[in-house]
Amino acid sequence: MTAKALSQRDLATVIGLEVHVQLETDTKIFCGCSTDAAEDEEPNTRTCPVCLGLPGALPVLNEGAVEAAVKVGKALNATVAEHTRFHRKNYYYPDLPKNFQITQYDAPICAEGTLEVSVEGERRDIGIERAHLEEDPGSLQHKGGSIDTADYTLVNYNRAGTPLMEIVTKPDFRSPQETRAFLAKLEEVLEYLGIFDATRDGSLRIDANISMVPAENVGDDGAISDETLAEANRTEVKNISSHKGAEKALAYEVTRQKNAISRGRAVEQETRHWDESRGITVSMRSKEEEKDYRYFREADLPPLEVADWKEKIAIPELPDARRERFREEYGLDAESASKLTSTKEVADFYEDVAEQFDPDLAATWVADNLLGELNYRDMQITDVSHRLDEFTRLVELVAEGSITTKNAEEVVLRGMLDDGDAPDDIVDREGLGAADDDEVVTAVAEAIEENPDAVEDYHAGEGGAVNFLVGQVMQKTGGSADPGDVNQMLREKLDE
Amino acid sequence: MSLNIFVTEETVAGDDDGPLAGKTVAVKDNISTEGVRTTCGSAMLEEYVPPYDATVVERLKASGATIVGKTNMDEFGMGGTTETSAFGPTKNPVDESRVPGGSSGGSAAAVAAGEADLALGTDTGGSVRNPAAFCGVVGIKPTYGLVSRYGLVAYANSLEQVGPIGSTVEDAAALLDVISGADERDATTRFDQSAEMDAHPAEGSDYAAAADGDVDGLTVGVITDLLEGADDRVVETFEAAVSDLRAQGADVVDVSLESLEHAVQAYYVIAMSEASSNLARYDGVRYGLSTGKEGNWNDVYADTREEGFGAEVKRRILLGTYALSAGYHDKYYKKAQDARAWIKQDFDEAFAEADVLATPTMPVLPPELGESLSDPLQLYLMDANTVPVNLANLPAISVPAGEADGLPVGLQLIGPKFGEETMIRAASAVEN
Repeated sequence: MTAKALSQRDLATVIGLEVHVQLETDTKIFCGCSTDAAEDEEPNTRTCPVCLGLPGALPVLNEGAVEAAVKVGKALNATVAEHTRFHRKNYYYPDLPKNFQITQYDAPICAEGTLEVSVEGERRDIGIERAHLEEDPGSLQHKGGSIDTADYTLVNYNRAGTPLMEIVTKPDFRSPQETRAFLAKLEEVLEYLGIFDATRDGSLRIDANISMVPAENVGDDGAISDETLAEANRTEVKNISSHKGAEKALAYEVTRQKNAISRGRAVEQETRHWDESRGITVSMRSKEEEKDYRYFREADLPPLEVADWKEKIAIPELPDARRERFREEYGLDAESASKLTSTKEVADFYEDVAEQFDPDLAATWVADNLLGELNYRDMQITDVSHRLDEFTRLVELVAEGSITTKNAEEVVLRGMLDDGDAPDDIVDREGLGAADDDEVVTAVAEAIEENPDAVEDYHAGEGGAVNFLVGQVMQKTGGSADPGDVNQMLREKLDE
Repeated sequence: MSLNIFVTEETVAGDDDGPLAGKTVAVKDNISTEGVRTTCGSAMLEEYVPPYDATVVERLKASGATIVGKTNMDEFGMGGTTETSAFGPTKNPVDESRVPGGSSGGSAAAVAAGEADLALGTDTGGSVRNPAAFCGVVGIKPTYGLVSRYGLVAYANSLEQVGPIGSTVEDAAALLDVISGADERDATTRFDQSAEMDAHPAEGSDYAAAADGDVDGLTVGVITDLLEGADDRVVETFEAAVSDLRAQGADVVDVSLESLEHAVQAYYVIAMSEASSNLARYDGVRYGLSTGKEGNWNDVYADTREEGFGAEVKRRILLGTYALSAGYHDKYYKKAQDARAWIKQDFDEAFAEADVLATPTMPVLPPELGESLSDPLQLYLMDANTVPVNLANLPAISVPAGEADGLPVGLQLIGPKFGEETMIRAASAVEN
């Protein structure tokens, strides 16, 4: 093919991802150091001879990391290897304590999986080529500039040895939007598995390979031959750290590559760095020659038999399945089911509430009221999951008619979140107990007596008049009456 | 005149009592000692003071032994004469004009010279047995996985073990009793994965007690392939010792292991490949020589390594890097692994015919100082009899077989995997 012959619309986008995910384990992958990264942690304190790569120190495999990897394999419908086996990847870099990384090479723990994504209602399976375990390097802090202009660079080994899983997809993405959907879905699945914490800095790092191929070489099902792929020059985009970032960086690359080709220039085969703040990718180094990592077996780690782990290790119900079940079991609409399964914690919370009350009422309260108020306060469900009892009490108060929906939402729920008070205390303090009938009857009579003009308007057929009277009654009852009931009582009284 | 046995002389007292109470032990300078510098015989680590003890050092201390110092060695274990040390060569106490062997030359010399009752060496391709033979003492290379390597600064990690040195088989065996055993910090000492073994082999073993000199009925297989290239004086001494074992009731048979002709090549490819990776960390950033130079980190690494490593270490790193490189990996590294598998298989077959196998430990008598250093290939060939044992992960012992021209000759006995007790029993009969 000649680059010149193709205009922008004759080009199709091909993307494959390498996703590095930090696994949430108690200790590092090859030593007993904690993986808990405190915000204000002193550099180089969460280290030991092993993760510092001191002479003579030896790695010992943390089986918890292997367990997490097996869970990922199950969730991605992948083949799980019968035993683990590690290799050394040799290269020099200042964040790498031993100047080699212990990783997996010819026998990854997981291979050949899929993850379904949906973009604008269209569902597609993205193939997972492999997913393997490795150790995270330390982190570099460039002082006085960026990576190429800094005066000096500091190394922090606290992160060194954090278990990483590298998930490599097939070149199955046909748009940046799909990569974003995939990454969001992957995060969701990993969170459901309880092995991933998206709030941790550096928990998700993405490299993307992207190239343009002639659209005519793409089959109806999106299939592209190896030959077509081999002919296209691709760039590897590094330094992407979120699903939004992936979409932006790759959208930029699509435009850049298409522009180049439509102007008759070839796309350089190279590594590019995503500069988030400037919203562009910049060339890092030309990738003319493949790096030679001189892989060979890590003799310090004997293979670990995990043939029966796939059977033994259970994984929780995954988001897609749970969404489907919520729709069937609780009769929820698609939107509520989706909201209520957005994280495992929300879904668990909902099911606890739905068990005790009408699932619809529970859905309204969890999906709309609670999540809405939490979102407004920049809080997470995990911030309140220990207050499940209080929350169910609030729904109970509404369900039994002890307080009005309006008060429950506007006073009690907000008070619970803002002041941390228990619902009954707020109800007592604010005098929100639902007005009893006598009180409302009295208030209705008073409102009619005190507002002859409105009564006259009502009889003259002005619809607004009754609303004014409802407002008067609500005021008298301190908002504790049910506006619908009041409306009905007023009409009955006025029509007598 | 000083024999230059120690890199650092420092006394570290052990616990008040224990099986080695009252004994002094010299420790090879590639075994980490908390608070005592551990140089590996290299300028690169001249100032490196480990913040932790190797497992074997912890066990030494707990056994009541007193550590008397860190012994000289070939740089990072790369050599068989202790002449590649950045701290100068050690002299052989038997004949000061000769090398003590290596790489654990300081450890063997310490025992031979009476500077310590016992010593720890390390053996990657013969580095305990070679100096034991040249200095006329006993040295044991345990089965891979019998002794923890945690804290042993790696040269070639799939091949090496820490091994004891003593003046008698029983002494060395008693030290093996102390240092052997599973260690949760060295995954290669853990046998919970293995179907054939429910406990670590050191459990329930008494190596010192095995040194009872009783070889009656034991079959000793002489590996004829390893006699062919050896010095006549060595072969003569060796054969006399074997005859003596026969006289004590042992059956002596000849065995041949065809694969052994590839052992030296396979050993050096594997050892150098692993070394190129194991020594990559010495870049001057956190420890190791810091040249104080500025500029691109890659250049600083190169300067540091250029200055910090000696010629033999550089040679092995370069050859190992080459052997692992794309395009050469299959030709060298993979082929060497195939040879290793073949050698293991040949040993398995040989142990169907014999309880222990015997060879001269070294095919030559101890060279003069400076004699062999200029010819690396000559040096590598000196390892022909010892490296097969490391490739096959087997245990072996070198025990004095007698003298030739007033110089010690060592007899090597090789045992089956974790067959240390049988091997020690046979070796103690050589002393009779």
